[in-house]
Amino acid sequence: MKIKRLKRVLNKQKWMGFLGGALLVATGLAHADETCQSPYMAKITGQEDFVYVWTLGMKGVGDEQDKLVTVAVNPSAKNFGQVVNSLSVGGRNEAHHSGFTDDRKYLWAAGLDTNKIFIFDVHTHPGKPTLSKVIDDFVEKSGGVVGPHTTYALAGRMMVSGLSNKTDHGGRTALVEYSNAGDYIATHWMPTDANLRGALKSGQHADGYGYDVRALPRLNAMFTSSFTGWSNYMMDFGKMLKDSEAMKRFGNTVVQWDLHARQPRKVFDVPGAPLELRCAWGVNHNYCFTSTALTSKIWLIYLDKQGEWQAKAVADIGDPSKVPLPVDISIQQDDGLLWVNTFMDGTTRAFDISDPFNPKQIYQKKIGAQVNMVSSSWDGKRLYYTSSLLANWDKKGKDNEQFFKLYNWDGKDLKQQFAIDFIQQKLGRPHQMRFGAYALYQTQLSANDFLEIK
Amino acid sequence: MKKHSLFCVVVLFFKLSQAWAEQPVYLKLPEAASYQLPVISAAANGDVLTTEHQKLTLHELMADKIVLLSFIYSTCSDVMGCPLATAVFQQINRQLLQEPVVADHLRLLTLSFNPKHDTPELMKKYGGSFMGGLDWRFLTTASEHQLAPIMRHYQQNVQKVYDQEGRFTGTFSHLLRVYLIDKQKNIRNIYSVSFINPNTLISDVKTLIQEISSDSVQTSVEQSAPQMSAAQLLKNIKQPPLGLPIVEIGFPINAAKIELGRKLFFDRRLSFNNTFSCATCHIPEQGFTNNEMRAAVGIEGLSIRRNSPTLYNVAYAKLLFHDGRENSLAQQTWGPLLAQNEMGNPSIGHVLDKVTRIVDYQGLFEKSFGEPVNMINLGEALSAYQQALLSADSDFDRWYYGGEKDAISESAKRGFELFRGRAGCVACHHAEKEYALFMDNQLHNTGMGYLNSMQIAPDTIKIDLGGKIVEVAGEIVQSVAEPPLNDLGRYEITQQPRDRWKYKTPTLRNISLTAPYMHDGSLSSLEEVIDFYNQGGVGNENLDSLIQPLGLSKDDKLDLLDFLQSLTGSNVKGKNQTMLR
Repeated sequence: MKIKRLKRVLNKQKWMGFLGGALLVATGLAHADETCQSPYMAKITGQEDFVYVWTLGMKGVGDEQDKLVTVAVNPSAKNFGQVVNSLSVGGRNEAHHSGFTDDRKYLWAAGLDTNKIFIFDVHTHPGKPTLSKVIDDFVEKSGGVVGPHTTYALAGRMMVSGLSNKTDHGGRTALVEYSNAGDYIATHWMPTDANLRGALKSGQHADGYGYDVRALPRLNAMFTSSFTGWSNYMMDFGKMLKDSEAMKRFGNTVVQWDLHARQPRKVFDVPGAPLELRCAWGVNHNYCFTSTALTSKIWLIYLDKQGEWQAKAVADIGDPSKVPLPVDISIQQDDGLLWVNTFMDGTTRAFDISDPFNPKQIYQKKIGAQVNMVSSSWDGKRLYYTSSLLANWDKKGKDNEQFFKLYNWDGKDLKQQFAIDFIQQKLGRPHQMRFGAYALYQTQLSANDFLEIK
Repeated sequence: MKKHSLFCVVVLFFKLSQAWAEQPVYLKLPEAASYQLPVISAAANGDVLTTEHQKLTLHELMADKIVLLSFIYSTCSDVMGCPLATAVFQQINRQLLQEPVVADHLRLLTLSFNPKHDTPELMKKYGGSFMGGLDWRFLTTASEHQLAPIMRHYQQNVQKVYDQEGRFTGTFSHLLRVYLIDKQKNIRNIYSVSFINPNTLISDVKTLIQEISSDSVQTSVEQSAPQMSAAQLLKNIKQPPLGLPIVEIGFPINAAKIELGRKLFFDRRLSFNNTFSCATCHIPEQGFTNNEMRAAVGIEGLSIRRNSPTLYNVAYAKLLFHDGRENSLAQQTWGPLLAQNEMGNPSIGHVLDKVTRIVDYQGLFEKSFGEPVNMINLGEALSAYQQALLSADSDFDRWYYGGEKDAISESAKRGFELFRGRAGCVACHHAEKEYALFMDNQLHNTGMGYLNSMQIAPDTIKIDLGGKIVEVAGEIVQSVAEPPLNDLGRYEITQQPRDRWKYKTPTLRNISLTAPYMHDGSLSSLEEVIDFYNQGGVGNENLDSLIQPLGLSKDDKLDLLDFLQSLTGSNVKGKNQTMLR
């Protein structure tokens, strides 16, 4: 296990990057999480010990309720590849995404249906998280936001992206900001045609929808993508596909925000439900990627030579006419590869993004009958996959496989290391994965440590 | 004290000061006071020592000035850690020499988290190089014990680094933050030292200074249109708008009951998992139906077979639900509350117990009904509110019942003649001499239900994918679809074969606001509805004899459309008016 410390020497390249950017980027890679997490956060650069799997309860399976499942993933551990803890939280909340606070002591895991945010202590006993707090007044405090999705660490705070609103359960929504302690701070509504909130509408759309949120602090930029409201994400997928009214209600925008001011600056047309946002790590790589679920494209959000942010479709994902449905994407820390999962064919695809304007698919492998999330270790050698998209969007019948799988990537091929059948294990539908490691905390000097030292 | 920490600060300062001064064009930082800094939390107190061994509390150092607080240890060699925080403070110190008014509002606090090493004397030495500009205090604590609560409250993540023998090396690994604290001792911003910029900090300080004399910070809250008072709603019932008859209410009604009913109607806690209110499917802003889906979804997204009917003028409905299985609004209430695919409550008692437990309902039923909540009065309260949702006095009403000759267009007048003449719509959508409900409180088979039950599933389905219509193989859709839910209409209530696929006639009032149409929401527009009836519905053995091909021309259909669009009530038209809700 190796945790990259803050000790580092400023090399020439970083100085140049810094001097060019004025904001401090010297921590650059070092303060990043495993390839897709907030840059404000400490990261695991070596072998992770655990993967925390935020899992949806499933009717007829085990205790039927949502749970945080902890899997041992260190090959040197006796229980490698086994579930070592399962913490049920009560109810089916439409468990979806999760994210650590910047100090990585707590994992915030949100429920898209009940609007609860479960805050788990993962530092006291990394192999056995405990439930520390539940935010159950998200809708009331936020002024009507529904569907807490991404829980994204900023300095001492969490930015929570909403998907919907309580007025009509449609897609109009907001970002909601909390302190690390779980106290509400502010609501930042997405720009709409009716109220652009000072943003420039650069295309046809200003739908006010939300999904993911990511930041490039050195450029004072934050980005949000757009999915759909409660009515759609909770609806049976097949029913929705046949509902022409419902299919009109998907997000078609990415918004560039002033990170510091929390104000929207520019609304881009990115049609077809842009989902995960992944920003490049390189100090001179001023761009982020997203993929569109309905139109099956990779989009690049980039800073042009004039210093303006732009959006451009740069690649197709599979055959869009067959609705492969791109879901999770994962960028590698060297900005060389972008992994893209397509839910309907259960396939993971690697795109060479060394030229971000011309991504090229170089590899693909079928992971299962359906696949949703992919999480990569920092070195890119281990890729974890889970199967569930949304409770009512997952495949039906025999194709409703629910798994957690580890693959090793040798640069040419993915080789499966283990698989856990979450239905056989009576757990449910596995969704978001986050990594844990003993070494993050073992030398930590907490307030209690100070007391013991005296 | 090791020399290299101070050396790092100095080197950093000189290397970075030029970069900070020359921001590249693409780095756009917001102007001071162009944004808000909402309160994050209260700034914690704690006992500290000054460089002169003076015992102070943090709050004593905060009361009169805006404060920037950073945590360091003097021997820190991590150039991107403590030295950077200090270099940033030094840059602020220098920049604000040019802005004495701003400088006068600000105090910098640099607090060591290594009290064993960083004595007051050492902190004095550390800070000696930076004195002479701002009010900048270098602080430490008497002990780690005294420091502990400060570290905990400010969530400073610090790890001692040990050597292979387990001995403390004297260095720390840390994820440092800097705090901006206002004069009310509230934390207003937190900066990661990894991404800190003195220009931003100065901008924030100026923002707080300007805020002192302006409005307090407001967080954005979704604005909704003002709603009618309960008294106005009561008046609406007692004096229905032009074009509607007197409402027959089966129980005594008053404003308190209406207000209570409205509270219940919008209360998401009435569903089993607190996610769903009546207004979730009957959305006031969408004509008290849902414009964004054909057939409704219920708790946990469970499928419902039918479209949410509008509640406008539901007071006149003698049959409730599309299949007419209920005969009073008060009783109908319990259908959705207990349906496992709607609000999902397990029992009547569960609902009543829950309402009884909720603090903000205490006394309300007693005030309105003179008794605690029970099955009957909960239904009556919801019924009272819904019966007040009367909407008429439309352009049509003002023309036909009010005698305003120009209230509707000539086209709409021709449409009305078609409606009650050749097109025969009025046979089910009644219009009387004194009023018009545009419904008959009866059920009919138009063939739409038959079509859903009996048609063979197509091989491909046209789907709107991000604005592009794509023909998708049916098997792809089926792989993610639950088995289709059949719907036999009135037959499900009577078990009479002749009642297969009969559904209740909806009112046409406010029809422009209540898309999509038909019991299953299968038609998106009024044009599609007119075409459907013009072709004579869908043939089947139980097709209502009133449904016949109409032979309407293109102009006829436009006239009919104009007439239908003239049925929007005056109390739901304007976007900015008090809303009927």
